[in-house]
Amino acid sequence: MESGTLIRADRPLDLEAVPERRPRRWPFSPWHFFLIPLALMMLMPLIWSLVTSLETASEAQRFPPVLIPSALHFSNYVDAWNALPFGHFFLNSFLYSLATVAGNLLFCSLAAYAFARLRFIGGNLLFVLLLVTLMVPFQVVLIPTFLIVRNLGLIDSVGGLIVPNLCAVFGIFLLRQFFQSLPVELEEAARIDGASRLGVFFKIVLPLSAPVLATLAIIQFMWSWNDFLWPLIIITTPERSPLQLGLSMFQGAHVTQWNLLMAGTVMSQIPMLAVFLLAQRWFIQSIAYTGIKQ
Amino acid sequence: MLAPGSTARRALGSDQVAGWLFVAPAVVLIGIFGLVPIGWSAIMSFQANDLVSAPSWVGLANYQALARDPVFMASVRHTLVYTVLFVPLSVAGSLLVAWALNRKLRGVRFYRLAVFVPVVTSTVATGIIFMWLLDPVFGLVNYFLSLVGLPEQGFLQDTNQALVCIVFMTVWGWLGFDVIIYLAALQGIPQELMEAAQIDGAGKWSSFRNVVLPFLRPATLFLIVWSTISALQLFDEIYVTTRGGPLGSTTVIVYYLYQQAFQFFNAGYGAAIAYVLFLAILLITIIQLKVGGRSVYGKA
Amino acid sequence: MRRKSIGIVGLLALVLAVMALTAGCGSSGGDTSATSGAGPTGVVNITMWHGDIDYAKTAVDALVAEWNQANPNIQVTALYNGGSDFALQKTLTAIAGGKPPDITYLFGSWMANIVKSPKVVLLNDLIESDPSVDWEDFWPTERLAATVDGKIVGIPALVDNLALVYNKKLFDQAGLDYPTAEWTWDDFRAAAKALTDPARKQFGWAYPADGSEDTVWHWEAMLWEAGGDILTPDNTKAAFNSPAGVQALTMLGDMATIDKSIYLDITNTKTSSVFNAGRIGMLVTGPWDLPSFPNVDVGIQIMPAFVNHQTISGPDNWVILNNGPARVQASWEFIKWFTAAQQNLTYNLAVGALPLRESETKLPEYQEYLDKYPGIDTFVENMNNAVKARPTVPQYSKISEALGQAIVSVLLGKADAQTALDEAAAKTDAILAVPVP
Repeated sequence: MESGTLIRADRPLDLEAVPERRPRRWPFSPWHFFLIPLALMMLMPLIWSLVTSLETASEAQRFPPVLIPSALHFSNYVDAWNALPFGHFFLNSFLYSLATVAGNLLFCSLAAYAFARLRFIGGNLLFVLLLVTLMVPFQVVLIPTFLIVRNLGLIDSVGGLIVPNLCAVFGIFLLRQFFQSLPVELEEAARIDGASRLGVFFKIVLPLSAPVLATLAIIQFMWSWNDFLWPLIIITTPERSPLQLGLSMFQGAHVTQWNLLMAGTVMSQIPMLAVFLLAQRWFIQSIAYTGIKQ
Repeated sequence: MLAPGSTARRALGSDQVAGWLFVAPAVVLIGIFGLVPIGWSAIMSFQANDLVSAPSWVGLANYQALARDPVFMASVRHTLVYTVLFVPLSVAGSLLVAWALNRKLRGVRFYRLAVFVPVVTSTVATGIIFMWLLDPVFGLVNYFLSLVGLPEQGFLQDTNQALVCIVFMTVWGWLGFDVIIYLAALQGIPQELMEAAQIDGAGKWSSFRNVVLPFLRPATLFLIVWSTISALQLFDEIYVTTRGGPLGSTTVIVYYLYQQAFQFFNAGYGAAIAYVLFLAILLITIIQLKVGGRSVYGKA
Repeated sequence: MRRKSIGIVGLLALVLAVMALTAGCGSSGGDTSATSGAGPTGVVNITMWHGDIDYAKTAVDALVAEWNQANPNIQVTALYNGGSDFALQKTLTAIAGGKPPDITYLFGSWMANIVKSPKVVLLNDLIESDPSVDWEDFWPTERLAATVDGKIVGIPALVDNLALVYNKKLFDQAGLDYPTAEWTWDDFRAAAKALTDPARKQFGWAYPADGSEDTVWHWEAMLWEAGGDILTPDNTKAAFNSPAGVQALTMLGDMATIDKSIYLDITNTKTSSVFNAGRIGMLVTGPWDLPSFPNVDVGIQIMPAFVNHQTISGPDNWVILNNGPARVQASWEFIKWFTAAQQNLTYNLAVGALPLRESETKLPEYQEYLDKYPGIDTFVENMNNAVKARPTVPQYSKISEALGQAIVSVLLGKADAQTALDEAAAKTDAILAVPVP
């Protein structure tokens, strides 16, 4: 019995194929009593922010809270958009997120493959050293990283956001685990046929890894999209702010317009949720993807 | 079949070059933005630095001051309490939820999405929402409590409850992440094992305990390590809600670091705090891995 | 194994080498060489960072456009700084990054910290040699707040003060007379109690209870009204744990814990919303808050007294940064004009902020300003009650932290006023005892 690997490569993942313990399928299982309240709890804050975003400013502050607004004030979204440079915020966030995703996909997979399949001096040590950086709170490296980025001339630029985040150890770790679970015979066969290592990597390993690469892409996209602290430190010009930093500008020194803030928040979350919805299949499947049956 | 010797030797020789080439970009990037700052912050921890004027060397003074700093000691306590509450709750909770979601039910896809939504909700939004929900006077939670006749609570205003509220807020926010990982792991349980257990007459609980749980060991260890590392570095949720209050009851280590470095301009002191935390995390993680076995890395 | 140990040493050596290289670059001072000011056409371009959004930003932009029209050789770009709460951090970051603005908006409480930066232009000489700035025309508290040890660090940008803002409808409903200029804190307390109704989730007063400077400066006004002071005149020791301080804090604490007439805003984000929803009877706040209460018919009165009706003001300043003599001179010309009586009154008319200069009250448009903002005359006259300012010492943020904790502990009923203030005083004395570089 396999006990070591997190990943199994010999069974196709099928979320629907659950071990059947009973001959019948219940339309409503007792589990629903657990899942429905859970789902409500998970979704409630999102629902609340949606509702608040459609209320007037005075409705947003009423108590008991107004759960059904008198009218749907979609104008809040327009007002929020106009109050702050949202166009710039979205653009900056997209640039930041897409660039870090691209960087991570390339650099992490290269490194992960080396750690998984290639034997070279210092390999194990290097991997441990990289893992060590996972244990460092960002605030440790905040000031030195800021100083390094300053020396590179990247302060107050989207480049300054992107460059330090082009390769995350999490990605290397995740992909290494995954690559190790692929059947090695495929790669060996290709090598015997004369393929270079790079060729094996690009033509065999990467295509097989599409789902886990999709996972990494989504996670990295999410991290960049929701990043607040690093932009706070690096970006000084509002037009160069990404979304979360931009949203915080709604919380003025003394005044906060809750309905506009919620409208802005919902707007900033839509792309993230859309990406998740579209990629849900792959995302959940990815960690235990199949190899080709022998 | 591999021709014995020749291919292997060729592979071994040029693996060196290929290996280093493949990892080069990652090493450069992580070296510059990961390892160098770690070393640099070690240097900074021996300085007095206010980010405005030139820094000066103070040797071990920052560390000595840390050892005598009651606020730092309190932040260590708070961080440990938080971690001890957060890790079991989120790991066990996510296991339960993943177990529930790993079956054919009506609307299971909807439930999976619902569970994951908090993970993609930004911390700023989560903080704002929870601050309103938990407001002692105007919040929804107290409203519902009063409807069912329970006493209203202070929540984020109560020095004894604020940290626990943060625990719930973060468990809520990260549950989906752990659930995804457990879901994937659960998929890997061989059918034959479950069936064999049932044929042997095992009940649901005992087959869960004897078949499923051991199988999930690698995932569980991974999640415990990952959750502990995250918990010890808690910051964002504190920053957007309580700012360390009320009365410092939610000041955790990284928040204290941030205050020292960026509010009081004691950057050298902040670096010392950070370094102490880093060493602690390293130690704890090594212990966890040794105790849990090497199953995290898998059979390479 | 020997091979592995070579690997370790090699890697460490690599890391140390890179560290040495970058550390060398990093520790050289933060300022870059001053960029030359005038472009090839003789036009000087300067940037100004401000914290205004919405209609306030429109007002700033209009004034800047007016200047740019009339002064083709000095062109100004006004940029929103992302929120003045972070302005100091952003300014320091920009200085360190080598691209600082020419004029930046900074809170008055940061003057003692920013004065240490070699990039800041001290204004003493400029003011002395240029009487057109009319320095004495600025309210006394502004001039106090812009001065650190005799060095003038900035030119006033915004001034405010705290006064009593109340909900007329709630007073009518409770059958109470509106607050008068002769009110004492006992009168205030009685009114707050009468306005509190737990069943309707209604409170007499709301107080920011997050321990931040907001918590502290509200109380400091009460301290001064009781005849007390924050620090000793030489700024070496705490003076706030005097009987005056205890009286002020006890009043606050009793209202919170015994009368329960205060809504404690622990996150300091909800007070305006809740007041606007008609749940709070009275607020002690400043003119910036008035636009947040569209649903409330407000009345404005000066703060009640213990022995005097003093108030506290939080002047913010424009600080000029040194990007070369041409740009410094251009910035001085512009900011002089921007803060002159006529321009400032135009801004205040649009925004509802208080006049920076006493002479603005004599301008013809001043009546228009009073008409547009009913009750603002109370705030303006209240400037005469702002006779003291918070100490401009670099350790103020730490002292504020200690005081904030003390006040919150009393508000939450965890300590009595004397003990809490004594503890904060001990911390303050220790903080002030540490020599500052």
